Amino acid sequence: MRFVFDRQRRPVTPAMGRLRRHCETNWGLRGVDVEVGPGESVALLGGNGAGKTTLLKVMAGVYTLDEGAVAVEGRVGSLLSINGGLMPELTGRENAVLLGVLAGLSRPQAFASLESVLQSSRLGNAFERPVSSYSQGMRARLGFATILESRPQVLLLDEVHEALDDDFRVDFERISEEIRSAGGIVVVAGHDHQLLSRMTSRALHLKDASLIDDGPFDTVLGGYLARDRGEAASR
Amino acid sequence: MRGRSLDLLVSLSQSDLRARYGRGPWQLVKWLLDPFALVGVYLILVTAVLERPGEAPGLALTCAVVPFQILTLTTTSSMTAVTLRRGIIANMSFPRAFLPLGTTMTETLAFAASFLLVVMMMAIYSVAPTTALLALPLILFVNLVLAVSFAYAATLFGVWLPDLRPFALSFVRALFFLAPGLIALDQIEGAANTWVRVNPFSGLFEGYRAIFLRGEVPDLWMILIPLGWACLIMAVFLPIYLREQGHFAKVAE
Repeated sequence: MRFVFDRQRRPVTPAMGRLRRHCETNWGLRGVDVEVGPGESVALLGGNGAGKTTLLKVMAGVYTLDEGAVAVEGRVGSLLSINGGLMPELTGRENAVLLGVLAGLSRPQAFASLESVLQSSRLGNAFERPVSSYSQGMRARLGFATILESRPQVLLLDEVHEALDDDFRVDFERISEEIRSAGGIVVVAGHDHQLLSRMTSRALHLKDASLIDDGPFDTVLGGYLARDRGEAASR
Repeated sequence: MRGRSLDLLVSLSQSDLRARYGRGPWQLVKWLLDPFALVGVYLILVTAVLERPGEAPGLALTCAVVPFQILTLTTTSSMTAVTLRRGIIANMSFPRAFLPLGTTMTETLAFAASFLLVVMMMAIYSVAPTTALLALPLILFVNLVLAVSFAYAATLFGVWLPDLRPFALSFVRALFFLAPGLIALDQIEGAANTWVRVNPFSGLFEGYRAIFLRGEVPDLWMILIPLGWACLIMAVFLPIYLREQGHFAKVAE
């Protein structure tokens, strides 16, 4: 998965990259060969810029690969940023309908799910206000409540859960476990290792767009922290 | 699948409408005011400044301004569609091919509302509707297909060359003035009367004038030339769009 930048360091599409001279290419992900099976919950570990978000976006179908292939079976629900597709000019209600349809619901289903989204997100009157007035936690709750309505079989989360309050995190862990127990897949990126250790049994350690390690969570975490400390000491 | 596609299109269009134009009854007023204002300004220009009024100048102008509005607004909105939608493009997987269609659908609603201006002008100039109105769906179809083709090209242009968006808009505006926009075709003499027909806007404007102003079925060139341009633009840009759409998320963030 490549990113191409022009001379002004702005990202450009591959077609523009071929037409323009002096473009720079950076790999967002390279040589990552991973298989995740039903009933697995996987943590993505790594520093900032390691490729965790990129990998999640490839799995979610947001990014198209330049080389290689990705195959995902099952209904995907992804929350890849706090704003996760929310349009700030629209209200929580309007965003819930839009995101519901984008996640695979029909419009009647999306409208029918609004009461459930309102209850799950616990937004109260804020549901009728523009999302631009929401805090990060409120946006995370709305995004999470909305994607759950599509009953995802593959749940992809990128640090969004770390913006949730304690009560919501308990619900979040429970729902993730339900998805996993039903044969679904949960892939979570984050830096809250305690939360990740409760939720996941396997981890992938990414560094510089490549896969460094793949194995049981505690083992991979130990290796990641040891490398991290080693690098910090050598600096 | 078709139902899902329609749901997606309607949802994209509705959210676009709310984000761009706000909500409430004033939304319709905003839509209506724009073409009224444009026709008003051009009417003063044509009748008072240029002194080339022609037949029912207000109605003749409206027949150009109304289709021009949808083409300009579709182009403008499409060039910023990926930027406006960067939240969902960068976070969610959905067929990006619906973006230009959603934009066109949004502008089609304003386009439909502005036909009130046509009705008003026909009443002001006492021009009675005729059976030529039966040809209206055909010219509407050509208008919308041309708008969709502009939408795909403009979306790509907005992604590729965001700094040149104002130039693209100027190009579309120039097409209006290089067509029988201000002045009807029958008032253009000489070789210009022939060459101006190559412009895709010319067939559209004259097609609407044929139906509403003269009560005639549009000539074949009024349909075929704009439609031909629409097909050519789609043939060039749609395959490129479909290849590039998977990479929009990289530039949208």
